[in-house]
Amino acid sequence: MMTDWAERLDAVNRWCGLTVRWLALAMVLLQFAIVIMRYLFGVSYVFLGEGVLYMHAALFMLGAGYTLLVDEHVRVDILYSRADEAGRARVNVAGAVLLLIPSILLLLWVSWPYVRNSVSILEGAISVGGIQASFLLKSLIPAFCLLLLIQGVACLLRDLARLERRQ
Amino acid sequence: MNFITENLDIAMFLVLAAALLRGYPVTFTLAGVATIFAGIGALLGAFDTALLGALSQRLFGIMTNQVLIAIPLFVFMGIVLERSQLAEELLEEMGRLFGSMRGGLAVSVVVVGALLAASTGIVGATVITMALIALPAMLRNGYSKPLAAGTVCTAGTLGQIIPPSTLLIILSEVMSSAYQQAQFEQGKFSVETISVGQTFSAALLPGLVLVMLYILYILALAWLKPDRAPAMRREVAEPVSTRQLLRVLLPPIFLIVAVLGSIVGGVATPTEAASVGAVGALLLATYRRDHDSRGASLLAIAALAGIVVLASSTSIRLQRSDADVGVWLLAALGAGLVAVVAWGIWRAVRHAAREGYLGVVNTRTMSVSSMIFGTIIGASIFSLVFRGLGGDKRIEHLVDAMPGGATGALVFVMVLIFLLGFILDFVEISVILLPIVVPALIVMGHDPIWLAVLIAINLQTSFLTPPFGFSLFYLRGAAPSEITTGDIYRGVIPFIALQAIGVSLIWLVPGIATWLPSVMFGH
Repeated sequence: MMTDWAERLDAVNRWCGLTVRWLALAMVLLQFAIVIMRYLFGVSYVFLGEGVLYMHAALFMLGAGYTLLVDEHVRVDILYSRADEAGRARVNVAGAVLLLIPSILLLLWVSWPYVRNSVSILEGAISVGGIQASFLLKSLIPAFCLLLLIQGVACLLRDLARLERRQ
Repeated sequence: MNFITENLDIAMFLVLAAALLRGYPVTFTLAGVATIFAGIGALLGAFDTALLGALSQRLFGIMTNQVLIAIPLFVFMGIVLERSQLAEELLEEMGRLFGSMRGGLAVSVVVVGALLAASTGIVGATVITMALIALPAMLRNGYSKPLAAGTVCTAGTLGQIIPPSTLLIILSEVMSSAYQQAQFEQGKFSVETISVGQTFSAALLPGLVLVMLYILYILALAWLKPDRAPAMRREVAEPVSTRQLLRVLLPPIFLIVAVLGSIVGGVATPTEAASVGAVGALLLATYRRDHDSRGASLLAIAALAGIVVLASSTSIRLQRSDADVGVWLLAALGAGLVAVVAWGIWRAVRHAAREGYLGVVNTRTMSVSSMIFGTIIGASIFSLVFRGLGGDKRIEHLVDAMPGGATGALVFVMVLIFLLGFILDFVEISVILLPIVVPALIVMGHDPIWLAVLIAINLQTSFLTPPFGFSLFYLRGAAPSEITTGDIYRGVIPFIALQAIGVSLIWLVPGIATWLPSVMFGH
């Protein structure tokens, strides 16, 4: 039951991560095109540079949940690597409840007015000639929080199920 | 009660250390501990929650930071190169080149570490590859286990001190804003900054000095105690031909010259150079993996080299009204080269997608970037609350109160960084501690670029210091089980001492760090 829900929640970040990851290749190619245009032909456009910036920000903000899903956020694993499955599950339950979820909720709460103001006026470009959508960039903050929250809950459910199975 | 509210900053730090040890991801441990202490501080009236309002702006600042965009591009380049099995082949050929002399296998590990550092700069991948290939080779030849383990760990961390590296990019950003803050404090209003290019060029020679120190140590040890690092037996060590050597050495050298050369030469920004490097790596990987059509890959690589030469020797300004026939001819040549490269990229991407590694490269680039930037975000939340609780004032007072003036303060900061390195990673130290202490050091008269290099070597050492050095984790994960954790710890101790010697050398002879940037950038 709990693992069913965990898998449903996982699907959100799996889909998101496997889509967003293509921004890595895209930003390499766009930045390369900018370099060619600038150094070979002496042409440059601010909005193209900002395009790379948008992709870069979206890549790590929207990829954070997926990174948690595949457990690639770095850990100090001197004790963790020696712990058994139950020991690891306990660390992860405590971490999710005491550290991850409260801090994400705090971030969501304090950034809300900042993001809402920006979105409500559809705030324009960061610099002259840039992409007229810095509100989208700011919206990445609540998206980042939401994705981490979803994944945090999914991991929590799975770890609770693991602990339950052992009893 | 007063005692508690006054010492919340210390408590916060101790709780962080204890929590990190449990093994929950560092990013969320930093943010979570900060949240808990912001709550406690607010309840006790020791923390002004209005400060948290600055978080959004900080996050936005991290997202829109132009300098840090280079990080995912370099990560992409490094992962493509890792997939192309460059490290494996380099280790094999270098092992054959140096293997027949005493200590030669260990020397080859250091040389390969340096080459990989200058072309990719990813510590984890380098350590793991070397642990899988070079470590068993050294053990088979009767190397002492600590020496073999220590060499692999240390050579892997060269990726952080030899540019291009994530550590230097983040450090440069932090040092630059600390430098600006110091100049404001001194009442200067036309402030200078530090570019990543300057930091890269400053770290280049010191990085090579460290490489020399490692090699000298290994050779000395092999000469004094031959049983710890014996030469390979003749029949195993078949000689390597110049042709083979060139074949494995040319790709990394090509990338190092193109990427590093353009950054250190001040021609391109790190972001620009990284994208060229990433495209170059894609073409090289296809050349190395797609054996059926090497000619086509080679043509694309040659065209890319042609573009680099053309772009650095002339500037074709099509937007200018006085563009004459010659300019248009050059432009046509350029367009032709671009077409060849574009065709090469198309083939490389198609090949990578068919072989299935394009998806892996994208996924890894995303997860490594999310991990690095997640840690930056977590550390900046931690630093905001730590400052709110008065932690910055406490550290500033400590720095100011150090006897011995500017030198005493610098010694104190260096020791503090070294000690923190036992429990924290370079990202946390850079984001939390450096903005507090560095402005004071610069005001006292220390050269910011020289300071950056000293700190960089110190932070590189944090990868090696037990129990939390990341290089040790990576080695532990990949090393054969006959290597104990004790072997690894004992193996890195002499190398940590070499790091200290390296720092002392640069302290005594600042020119090692400051000469190249002064020539290249006129600092």
